[in-house]
Amino acid sequence: MTAASELGWWGVLFAIFAGAIRISTPYLLVSVGETITEKSGRTNLGLEGTLVLGAMCAFATSYLTGSPWLGVVAAGVAGASLGLVHALICNLPRVNDIAVGIALFLLGVGLAFYFGKPFIEPRGTMLPGIGFGFWSSNPAIRSGLEVNPLFILGLFLAVFLQWALVHTRWGLLLRMAGESEDAARAVGRSVQSIRTYATVFGGFISGLGGASLSLFYPGNWNEGLSSGQGLMAIALVIFARWNPIRCFYASLLFGGASAIGPALQSVGINQGYYLFNAAPYVLTLLLLIYSSSASYRLAGAPSELSLSR
Amino acid sequence: MMAMSVNTPPTVEVRNLSKRFGSLQALDSVSTRFASSRLHALLGENGAGKSTLVKCLLGYYQADAGEVAIDGTAVRISHPGQAHALGLGMVYQHFTVVPEMTVAENFILGKEKLPARIRWSDENDMLRAFMATMPFQLDPERKVSTLAAGEKQKLEIIKQLYLGRRFLVLDEPTSVLTPAEADEVLGEMRRLANANELTVVLITHKFREVEKFAQDVTVLRGGRLAGSLSQKEASKNALAGMMFGSNVPDRPRFSATAAANETAPYLRIADLHADGERGTPALNGVDIVVRPGQIVGLAGVSGNGQKELVEVLAGQRAAKSGAVYVDGKAYSGTRREIKRAGVSLIAEEPLTNSAVRSLSVMENLALRQFDEPPLTFGRYFLNRMQFLVLARNLIARYRIHASSPFARLDTLSGGNVQRVVLARELSRDVNLLIIQNPCFGLDEAAATEIRKQIVQARDRGAAVLLVSEDLDEIMEIADRILVFSGGVVTYETDRDKAEVYEIGRHMAGAHAA
Amino acid sequence: MSASQESRSPVRIPESEPRIPPDIARRFLTLPSRERLEPFILSLGALIVAMLLFGAFMALQGIHPLDLYRALYVGSFGTRISIENSLTFAAPILLAALCTLIPARVGLLVIGGEGAIVLGGLGAVLAGTAASGAPALLGTTLCLTAGAICGGAWIAFAGALKRGRGVNETISTLLLNYIAIAILNHLISGPIRDFSQTLKAQSWSIPSQFMLGNIPGWSVHWGIVIGVIVCVGLHIFLRYTTFGFSMDIVGGNNRAAQMSGLPITAIVVVSCFLGGAAAGLAGAIEVVAVHGAASESLVVGFGYTGILVAFLSRQKPLAVILFALLMGGIAASGGLLQRRFDVPYAATAVLQGIIFLCVLASNALNGRLLPERKSP
Repeated sequence: MTAASELGWWGVLFAIFAGAIRISTPYLLVSVGETITEKSGRTNLGLEGTLVLGAMCAFATSYLTGSPWLGVVAAGVAGASLGLVHALICNLPRVNDIAVGIALFLLGVGLAFYFGKPFIEPRGTMLPGIGFGFWSSNPAIRSGLEVNPLFILGLFLAVFLQWALVHTRWGLLLRMAGESEDAARAVGRSVQSIRTYATVFGGFISGLGGASLSLFYPGNWNEGLSSGQGLMAIALVIFARWNPIRCFYASLLFGGASAIGPALQSVGINQGYYLFNAAPYVLTLLLLIYSSSASYRLAGAPSELSLSR
Repeated sequence: MMAMSVNTPPTVEVRNLSKRFGSLQALDSVSTRFASSRLHALLGENGAGKSTLVKCLLGYYQADAGEVAIDGTAVRISHPGQAHALGLGMVYQHFTVVPEMTVAENFILGKEKLPARIRWSDENDMLRAFMATMPFQLDPERKVSTLAAGEKQKLEIIKQLYLGRRFLVLDEPTSVLTPAEADEVLGEMRRLANANELTVVLITHKFREVEKFAQDVTVLRGGRLAGSLSQKEASKNALAGMMFGSNVPDRPRFSATAAANETAPYLRIADLHADGERGTPALNGVDIVVRPGQIVGLAGVSGNGQKELVEVLAGQRAAKSGAVYVDGKAYSGTRREIKRAGVSLIAEEPLTNSAVRSLSVMENLALRQFDEPPLTFGRYFLNRMQFLVLARNLIARYRIHASSPFARLDTLSGGNVQRVVLARELSRDVNLLIIQNPCFGLDEAAATEIRKQIVQARDRGAAVLLVSEDLDEIMEIADRILVFSGGVVTYETDRDKAEVYEIGRHMAGAHAA
Repeated sequence: MSASQESRSPVRIPESEPRIPPDIARRFLTLPSRERLEPFILSLGALIVAMLLFGAFMALQGIHPLDLYRALYVGSFGTRISIENSLTFAAPILLAALCTLIPARVGLLVIGGEGAIVLGGLGAVLAGTAASGAPALLGTTLCLTAGAICGGAWIAFAGALKRGRGVNETISTLLLNYIAIAILNHLISGPIRDFSQTLKAQSWSIPSQFMLGNIPGWSVHWGIVIGVIVCVGLHIFLRYTTFGFSMDIVGGNNRAAQMSGLPITAIVVVSCFLGGAAAGLAGAIEVVAVHGAASESLVVGFGYTGILVAFLSRQKPLAVILFALLMGGIAASGGLLQRRFDVPYAATAVLQGIIFLCVLASNALNGRLLPERKSP
């Protein structure tokens, strides 16, 4: 920490920048996953629960097996399982997908806290970072630029999925299911199964977001690990107009906003700590207000999405 | 994928086809034959079984009894994919193209086998080459939402041809087209049939289309075959007789009252501008005047802004500029204004616009009056027993078929929901009646009854604005006829001076595709 | 409803002016019809299925389901103490449920109960310390009212955002939950902190004479009675007033409400205010009857349990009383489960999540338990 305060105010800016990359990883993964789910016409509000459960599973698996990558896989599987439950229940007639999301949020967090009790104290094996700061002698810069490998994965996913939505068969079918159930039925495709795959996929990626929390930064498991990041990622999808690459930029923005508090703390500014913590939520709300419109459906919103109606 | 090949289009025959939904016998032992390379019209009222018949052919339903034969061989079609493989296709009433996707994307989606990786430059080129052989042309890279209704309809047809369908069912394809567009599309269909490229089945209720384009006619009524004849034998009277039975209610012509052209307008719409669903302009300076004791009929092809106009009058859409005056005062559709001015409004699609499906019949009937005596105690408390008295009264007077007044509204058939709305709106003292497509989905007898009620309201001194896509209906009861096209009134005339061709020409207006 | 039943009418109609036919009056006194019972049956069925699933979940960890069910029963309604605990938990859950229920009647899915509870608690503390010289009953009322108003304003804000900018109310109220908690944390760590309390961060205490006492003879405070009264009052309001009926129209079909000239924005914002006020009242009661001050004890998940109760009750206030009691029982038995089976308290959260999913899945059966009733 003293190395950081050596840099003075540049240190604060740098901390915000490094923090943006670090903190944005869960936002990035969850928002990209949810973009795919929402493109198919479903909203999965339960991703906060998926995030927390994924984090717990990743940490527990990494701790028990010594392999953080196994933990990552476990987190994805946990997320995919919750996604599967969401999809199967929403496939039933007359079921409100937003309400199911809330239920899964509660269940996911409940399961995570239930099974996660024994893992709060110990230190597990963390994911190795990719050192982009090798050129510097300042340890603060070096540690600041240790990039989460899942961040790189998230960036790659964002770029790939953006391309795939237009240039692959699955992308086209996904968008069709989200834009027009009638059209899908007319060509004999099952909207339910497309949405199921999309929700399971989105859940898997969001689970990975949880893994990035517990296996990299902050790098432990406790019951306050996530407070609304999953939810903010969903609001982020609306702000990014359901475009994976824009999700990437928006996640960085959010990461930066969340990093302001800790960055200021590192140079000794301590008042209003909780208010700074509120900054990302307020930012999300403001962005939501800005992006929404009372009269028109949001441009880019999949037509079958209940959120946008 | 080339659509036109050398072998002949199929002959499809149904023998003794039956289908039942719960207590409703939708098809009752129907047999008919759609001969190869001919345009065959399928006629019938709403609920006669036309949709059920073609959906059985296309594999959406499985018939309970009977069989389907293609070129003489019996086949079992259990899902749409099979029908498609046999070359059978259908163009629906509602567009099945995805508005937010491009023409090319929509085309590709219909293919059986989509490639995992799609190279758009190649696909677009292939599509353009294919289009050159088609009667209609469209730009593959355009987003479908930017196409006009006529173009969307053509897109649907081209898509079917692209996918190699040689037997095409068209379900009321011209309901959203101007007369000129309709003639163009149906003319092409007939040409393709004559050229041995297609067998066409045209579902329609317009005699004009039957006369002009069909070679054979099949009429269904109440799920049964009412008649099957060639076009030459099909006179209007014979067809009407088959569709409605022997007592064909002759459309009565209501006597026009001398429109009181000197009294002050009761409804005045002044230079109204408003945007539609997607933010594009829908009303572009509408000026309409309706006087007491007068029926003003607003004719026009669907999609020219009528929906948005009624929505503005109903308070469901905000106007950008301009104003609406009722009884001389500015009108914005608040409850107090509605009551003071005596406004009744009957929009289309009652379940979407004017009724609450989760409430009971009784509560829906009370919608306009629940906040005044006798339905209230004092100012704020409801007297639900009086709701029931009112409901019993209206159910009897308007012959609403419901299992009980407490039944949920969505347990009623479409026609009865319409009756509930009509009962509620027409039974009050009405000074201004705004009514849109009132007889859609109703049988001829009910429709005549409602037109009679509208005329009675006018005779009692109400100002009536009738917005209708059925030109016959407007010609029958309106005193003054306006044509609505491209979001403005483009033509006005009194009924005695009205000429159908003149009106039709103006209806085509900006949509000369 | 035939004429032959007239003679059996139990309601006396004045002979001179039979404006209301006797059989109509009788209809209003008949037993609940199948249509009215179906929602209850579905919810109870969902509860049973959820209990079975939870039993299986616990069985996989070596806990015998029957022991589990017995413990749940004992912990919730088996002894006098557990009943008292259940009633104590039920009060805030009941009121928080209304925070979801009332806006749901106008078609909004609000999950901001947690945040409204927090603001209600803060409002009660601020009012209590500001009016510290007032007589006891007035002071208590002031605290409760202030809490209700704060909670109401919070959710009304979300309602206004929805009407004014189309902001999805589920996401906005969820965000407002977190913002409210952040405001609470900020205030109790500094501006309104009672520094004499060293155990945990806590706000100033309200004067002790403002505290709400217990029901005589029971270790249960009056909060549950307040809650039940509010529910009954709400039921009458929703069913028998013109405003309540207009809420039904707005919630049933927005376009029909527009067409009939109702002031939709006002109705929606007022409905949100009422819902938020109920949850705010819950938070105020927690301060005034239990803690005496605001602290993170206000954030225990009553808001989220309230959402579940609202769904179980299928948006009917009278049913809320029953289901809030049941969920209060489950919450109360959590401690016993912890001690008896050595499982974390989060077991109750898992059970709640399972119940919630079962209730939502049971919506698929809406209308299926009734005979086919399409009219010609």
